[in-house]
Amino acid sequence: MIEARSAPPQMMTDEIFKLLRDFIYETSGIFFADDKKSQLENRLLLRLKAHNLNEFDKYYYLLKYDPDSGGELRALFDSVTTNETSFFRNPTQIQALQEQVLPETLAKKQMAGESRLRLWSAGCSTGDEPYTLAIVVTEVLKESIPSWEVKIVASDISEKALRSAGAAQYNEYTLRLVPQTIKEQYFTPNGDGLYTVSDDIRSLVEPGYLNFADARRVELMRGFDIIFCRNVLIYFDDDLRRRFVSQLYDNLNPGGYLFIGHAESLHNISSAFKLVHFPGALAYKKD
Amino acid sequence: MRKDIFERIRTIEDLPTLPSVATEVLSLAQSPEVSIRQLSETIHQDPPLATKVLKMANSVFYRRSPQPVDTLHNAIILMGLTQIINITTSISIMSSLPRDSSEEESIRKHYWNHSVATGLIARILDRKLGMRSKGREFVGGLLHDIGKIILDAYFHEDFMEAHTLSIAQHRSIHQIEKEVCGTTHMDIGFYLAQKWNLPPYLSDIILWHHTPSKASFPDITSLISIANQLAKAKELSCGGDSMSFILSDEDSWNILKERGYPVDDLDLERITFEMDALGDEVTHYISTVSDSTPTE
Repeated sequence: MIEARSAPPQMMTDEIFKLLRDFIYETSGIFFADDKKSQLENRLLLRLKAHNLNEFDKYYYLLKYDPDSGGELRALFDSVTTNETSFFRNPTQIQALQEQVLPETLAKKQMAGESRLRLWSAGCSTGDEPYTLAIVVTEVLKESIPSWEVKIVASDISEKALRSAGAAQYNEYTLRLVPQTIKEQYFTPNGDGLYTVSDDIRSLVEPGYLNFADARRVELMRGFDIIFCRNVLIYFDDDLRRRFVSQLYDNLNPGGYLFIGHAESLHNISSAFKLVHFPGALAYKKD
Repeated sequence: MRKDIFERIRTIEDLPTLPSVATEVLSLAQSPEVSIRQLSETIHQDPPLATKVLKMANSVFYRRSPQPVDTLHNAIILMGLTQIINITTSISIMSSLPRDSSEEESIRKHYWNHSVATGLIARILDRKLGMRSKGREFVGGLLHDIGKIILDAYFHEDFMEAHTLSIAQHRSIHQIEKEVCGTTHMDIGFYLAQKWNLPPYLSDIILWHHTPSKASFPDITSLISIANQLAKAKELSCGGDSMSFILSDEDSWNILKERGYPVDDLDLERITFEMDALGDEVTHYISTVSDSTPTE
């Protein structure tokens, strides 16, 4: 059988860039500014290859008009999101959570006779962040954990990343910031350089698909005490940032905390939160 | 048993004194008719000090033009009387206080890092808020905790105890100082400021930087109060009291707001991130001041 050799893909024209950019924005909220054309081009080349296409406009028509394009849409989301993450990323934020935010939240709940603790890892990628949160909660609650109803919701738009989160297996590199005692206690080495997260930790985390551009779905996420939404807003334009952050505010319980990425800012995005300074870290508090 | 260090400090005879040139410069600063020539001649009475001032005027912190400034006279013309007075004050006070310590991670090293950081942050905020403090904010930042250096130098063990307790109990250092030493670094600093005849705005900052609502100079005292907290948030703190805080809930913040400064327009996040780069500037400033031979 003779295999047809496809010609190398054509360059992405400005016109098709705008069409693709708008389509991605409408479906996911992820925004590629004009100077990100070559980034989008590079990321989509693999999708073109997967469909044996050599023109970007044909790929656009496939996304837009093919009745079975739902699967391709998810693959597209996988390729336009970055899944750079690691356990205990930005240790000062994790320290603020462990030493101040969680103790404060738990003390308040105890006073009110509540025992439900809900965290949300919004943009959880391959699961490093929600499992980190679960470990920190476990460390703070210690032996009192059975008397608490802890849930850590982990959502992402990339199904590929969510599959990794479900498998809960990690390599040395992504565990590089994990203290040795934590590593010994909550991970089991597989012998092939991978480590599996312990069942106790996994049982606290619920991974699931969520598209943050889908306002109706985001609205359903209610009653969180702490939200981690790090390096997600960078994908959005200002309009979606404002809408999404105002939804995050509604998703939080009164007194709840929002952590965004180190070096991200809500200045000009929202004035609803109070900015809280911790040693080496910032968080936003809903009053 | 509670010790009243404040009573004992009055009996110490070898408390640091301000170099006479600094005293003269400070009194010139109070006079409305000070001239460039007068100021330049006064600083020149202390040649090592004059060298340092010139060096500072040419450092990255103050340099305005690509051409180096080669005389004090030109430095004053270029930077203004107030700025030169403030640079001179900072340098002479820093030189007259005990600074070196054998321990690498000593509390004194933290002290100077924190003080310089507070001064630099105050300068950033002053600029962003359009307060035009002309360098007073830097001196204020540098000196707000001056009482701590006295506590450390003369009552080291008590001060260390307060420091350790403050970290262990997550309580602010001045509350613990009151319990352990019977006084606070604010009161001790204020005593020294009076003794040295420092300008009233400096005494005010030293005494009220934790309670700016009581200050007679509320603008600059509030500014230093905010800069002090931001410096602590960067772990450039010299006390153990690095806790969390919400600036918009602080008196200092609301004082500046009520007095018409655009605090709500401040991009605090950006300022906080920019402070990441401050460590190098702090080191650079301290080495610029320390480099030449100390003034006596």
